[in-house]
Amino acid sequence: MLVWSRAGRLLAWAAAGLLFALVYGLPIGVIALASFSGQWNDVLPSHPTLTHYVNALHGDSAEQAQVSIITGLAASAAALLCGSWAALALRHLARLPKRVLDVLFFVPSAVPSVSVGLGLLVAFSQPPVLLNGTRAIVLIAHFVLISAFTYGNVSAGLARLPPEFEQVAESLGARSFYRLRRVILPLVSPYLIAAFSLSFALSMGELGATVMIYPPGWVTLPVGIFSLSDRGAIFDASALTMILALATLAVLIGLSRISSRAAVR
Amino acid sequence: MTAEIATASEARPALSAAAAPRFSGAHVSGIGFKEVTVAYGGLVVLDALTLEVKPGEIVALIGPSGSGKTTALRAVAGFVRPSFGRITIGDRDVTDVAPHARNIGMVVQNYALFPHMRAEENVAFGLRARGASQAVVRERVPECLRLVGMEAYAKRYPRELSGGQQQRVAIARALAIRPQVLLLDEPLSALDAQIRRSMLDELARLHRDLPSLTVLYVTHDQTEALTLADHIGIMRDGKLVAFGASRSLYRHPPNRFSAEFLGRANLLPVTSLEPADGGLAKVRFGDTALMATNPHDLPQGSDCLLCVRPHELRLREDVGGANALTGIVESVQWQGDAHGIVLDVHGHRLRLTSAPLGEPPEQGTKLALAFEPGHVSLVPETKGG
Amino acid sequence: MADLSVASSPAGARLPSGVWVASPLVVLAALFFYPLSLILRQALFGEEDAFTLSHFGEVIGSRLFLDGLHHTLVIAVSATAGCLLLGFILSLIIAFVPFPGARLVGRLIDTFIALPTFLVALAFTFIYGSSGLLNESLIRLFDLSLPPVDFLYSQWGVILSEVTVYTPFVMRPLLAAFSLIESAQIEVASSLGARPLRIICQIILPAALPALIAGGSLCLLLTVNEFGIVLFIGAKDVITLPLLVYDKAIQEFDYTTACVIAVVNVALSLGLYSLYRLAVAHLAGSRAGLV
Repeated sequence: MLVWSRAGRLLAWAAAGLLFALVYGLPIGVIALASFSGQWNDVLPSHPTLTHYVNALHGDSAEQAQVSIITGLAASAAALLCGSWAALALRHLARLPKRVLDVLFFVPSAVPSVSVGLGLLVAFSQPPVLLNGTRAIVLIAHFVLISAFTYGNVSAGLARLPPEFEQVAESLGARSFYRLRRVILPLVSPYLIAAFSLSFALSMGELGATVMIYPPGWVTLPVGIFSLSDRGAIFDASALTMILALATLAVLIGLSRISSRAAVR
Repeated sequence: MTAEIATASEARPALSAAAAPRFSGAHVSGIGFKEVTVAYGGLVVLDALTLEVKPGEIVALIGPSGSGKTTALRAVAGFVRPSFGRITIGDRDVTDVAPHARNIGMVVQNYALFPHMRAEENVAFGLRARGASQAVVRERVPECLRLVGMEAYAKRYPRELSGGQQQRVAIARALAIRPQVLLLDEPLSALDAQIRRSMLDELARLHRDLPSLTVLYVTHDQTEALTLADHIGIMRDGKLVAFGASRSLYRHPPNRFSAEFLGRANLLPVTSLEPADGGLAKVRFGDTALMATNPHDLPQGSDCLLCVRPHELRLREDVGGANALTGIVESVQWQGDAHGIVLDVHGHRLRLTSAPLGEPPEQGTKLALAFEPGHVSLVPETKGG
Repeated sequence: MADLSVASSPAGARLPSGVWVASPLVVLAALFFYPLSLILRQALFGEEDAFTLSHFGEVIGSRLFLDGLHHTLVIAVSATAGCLLLGFILSLIIAFVPFPGARLVGRLIDTFIALPTFLVALAFTFIYGSSGLLNESLIRLFDLSLPPVDFLYSQWGVILSEVTVYTPFVMRPLLAAFSLIESAQIEVASSLGARPLRIICQIILPAALPALIAGGSLCLLLTVNEFGIVLFIGAKDVITLPLLVYDKAIQEFDYTTACVIAVVNVALSLGLYSLYRLAVAHLAGSRAGLV
């Protein structure tokens, strides 16, 4: 407690409330408002309508949502496997190689997504592997971009795990695979779930790399939203953004429920 | 792969011993340290430790933090690798054996109960990990929980148990695999004073019930060590500075550090030792002649330290007589069940504890003190010891 | 048998971790480092397969590239400064003037991290656009003929959007650092007569400095790499390096130029990333020092 007087506290809260509302409430509010509006010529929009949502749930947009979800799930699952694998394998390495590899696994998160897209475009448009124009290249791009976050999340979880758990398990006669399955994975499961949901959210919102490499017929939601807003269909774009945000949040909240249940147990 | 064979051959007999009376002497084995040295990056944390824990014995390693006592225990468990020396459990050299194949039970300071498992699942963990049959698990788990008085809490998760209860489950978990030796690493230090006292009694009872269990007990608390251990090793700076039967180590400490660390001792510098009959010796403290036991056979004429435990000092009515000293009262503390008095005896500070006094002395009073020659001992004065 | 096990078990325990780590490393090499190396190759060899620095020279000397670099840096630095200021104020209130629901607000801001960045850019066109909420209101209120607020399609629009999006990245480490400050310290300081501003300057700010550095360098990295916001705002004269890469490769099919710019951009990002790692390592070190 920093401010003791009641008036001071109220003032601080009011200022904070205003800031929050202005910085975070307002953008989400106007997107929500726009997604329901037929016209916006006045200060506030008029002619409330559900047309944009109806549009969003049919045709191209529905397909894009499907593409995004499939890509997100597949890339996150692959990233979860690879990231956890890397984090677990690194655990018992000596200090120096561990630090070097740790940096290597984190690097993809530091490189601009557009450059990752460009690299994949250049690399897989020539032999030995031709993937340009396939769906796989979108998956690969998403996987590369989110794998670092999965790795980071899982290794943070492992670092927080007191070494005694594994040592006691080992002294009781448990071999490494048994320890992994019965002790380590259950104990880091909240981090695995968090890693998965963060990767899924990042994949759902990915634009930079996707826009470089997506093949026709495999358009993700963000790319679709961009082309809508580029064409001037900003209300439709808003509705689609709302759907994207809500779908992401629903997955996040659902998974965090599961993870908190796992943590309590 | 070969490690697998080793576990199989070591662990199976332990499991099939289920038919025998519980914890029979089937695999009574001791622990042997032979010049075990552990160094981290040039820093020697355990320096050529040689020590034997006999089968069925409790040995306590005590010492200040950083003295290497926990390292010694972890070396037995297999979590630190000695850079030199051998470790044996029973007649088997385990120096290069993986921890999971050593057949030891370990209880750590914060218990490390698996939070996602119920108490009974925790206890069953080691059995299941070793591939014990369901029948063995069903028999052994309740048996071990009963042994520590936790059978009513089998279905609880660790977070639903108090510190002392978690401790008991951790012990049951370690005992369930019928370990050859039990390693206890500061097992009571996370408990508050009252529970610590009762857990100490519990551990003593447990060892009475399982007299063949070999225990290595690491602690920094001398009461725990004196209460439980048959032998005590005192560690300092990675070295074992004293080792012996608890009672004789307390009564006849071999050096200054042991005298001060195991029970706070008064140490008086004395000179001109003259051996006398009955293991006694005569020494001079300033002008005063004193008699004390000479357990370490210090030679004639040597200078040494006289170790007088605070409770061995008596207040006397009259001045003079054998083994008599006079001191001036510096301070008096009432401690409830005892009085503590600090005295200045010819420039040396002596602590005395006695049963509560009806009329405690005033500060500045001159008091006469005495002690039995058989209850005090001479300690060699060595630099750094 | 026991002797056999003695000899081989430690070696057997150590070998696998090296083998295990190989598989994710191979995946990473094939899907990330290999493409990245080809960008460098194309930047140095062009389409003709002959080593030359002329592509680099041409691109780096060009007006377009220098403007892009300039914009990227100005936007990143300003946005980071904004994030630090806003993040510090918001975290301060959440942590030290707690109100009912403060934790919820903290978590809401946290989930903001997961939302696509262009959401904010899109929203800002509704709020600050020429016929957006703010301008319409002002026009009606003061009976103006032209929209008075016109910053959205400049770099300020991008900066403001990025501040909104990336402030949570500063707040995360800050809130963690604040939670480590003992409330007793602040209470003692208050009881000794220190006013809030003094407490902030003398107790909170020094304790939060490593977190500010870590959060700030992360922000710098993310804002240099930001693409969606710049693309959505689509201001003609606000072109950053990632947008330039996109324009060159996708609009003009000039892969060599795109690769040269990407190399510079990646190098810049990796430099900032090392800065971030150093800051975090320092943060961990100073924390360990405190314990």
